[in-house]
Amino acid sequence: MTKTMLILLAVIFSVHIASAQVGAMKLVGKNTKNYKLGFGAFIKTALPVNEAGSITIEGGVNIFMLNDPDGFGSGTIMCPLKAGYRYTFNQTGEGLYIEPQTGFNVYGITSMHDENGNPVDLKYHGVVLAVGTGYLFTLWRQPFDLNLRYETVIAHGGSNNLVALGISRFISFKKRYSD
Amino acid sequence: MRYYMVLITTCVFFASCLKQSIPDAMLSDKHRNTGGITAMLSYEIKGIPVQISVPDAGSQNPLYATLSCIKYPGFYSLSGLSSTGEITFTFYTDTLTLGNYTYNGSYGEEFFMSFYNENQYTVITTDYLTFSVTSYENGCISGSFSGQLTPMINNGNNGFIHGDYGSTKITNGVFQNIPVFY
Repeated sequence: MTKTMLILLAVIFSVHIASAQVGAMKLVGKNTKNYKLGFGAFIKTALPVNEAGSITIEGGVNIFMLNDPDGFGSGTIMCPLKAGYRYTFNQTGEGLYIEPQTGFNVYGITSMHDENGNPVDLKYHGVVLAVGTGYLFTLWRQPFDLNLRYETVIAHGGSNNLVALGISRFISFKKRYSD
Repeated sequence: MRYYMVLITTCVFFASCLKQSIPDAMLSDKHRNTGGITAMLSYEIKGIPVQISVPDAGSQNPLYATLSCIKYPGFYSLSGLSSTGEITFTFYTDTLTLGNYTYNGSYGEEFFMSFYNENQYTVITTDYLTFSVTSYENGCISGSFSGQLTPMINNGNNGFIHGDYGSTKITNGVFQNIPVFY
């Protein structure tokens, strides 16, 4: 599985348009109030397929720490790998967009302590579905992507749901239109 | 393309309708696997039968379980409570697997059970208690056990002395479907 992830990340890096993204996120849903505000880091690439849309591939890691009285180190880590379609409403490849994504949670682990204070590690994979919206803009000649995303990871009959606010900075960029 | 976008969006929101998080679901599965079964432990001590039976054993609170095996760092502790007393046995292993686990008197004096307020220990080197785990499925262990222990008796002067060494025989010990809690 690690080998697969490395290959996929290599593919992501090898394409012309890639961006590094950081984000703050919050787990939402039942029994999530004990989780602190999470954070994530991603590598994302977009391949334009027409004037308005791009196919996107994204790999990253989401980390949520748990307020656990039994000790440090409790929390949830998820590593989703997603593909999506980013559609810009003004059909220029910039501006406001919507982006549904689907993928696979390559690695997920929730560490906590049981009633006796013993550590419990729950490992899982799962399907990832996400819907995001954002705004592609240029600042100081650098393209940025400010986005808001709702994401759910489904496994074992349950789901981890999160809302994320992120900003992307393009680390390599191929212009949609040549001058 | 719009069709797929609407489809994925719909899936996302329906997926969010799942009532529990992944950790909760996994813990519920674990609980469900052991929840409906009846755990049983029986043996004869000095020829007198003792039996412990707990329906819906997986639903016990590990802190107050009548019959359970609890995982701790480096060992597992099996314990059972009955109207005649209690029994306890420690599996000194990080990972409980099928096989024999023996504690004998050469390891030191150790409490294993009480019977009508008379506690039973390993004291001399020939004292022992052996648990054979023959099944570990769905989070439950089953097997058999036997042993020879030494009673600790009250000397009537607020003190305790060893009774006849190795005089307590544990025979026909059987345990079935005891849930292992983590």
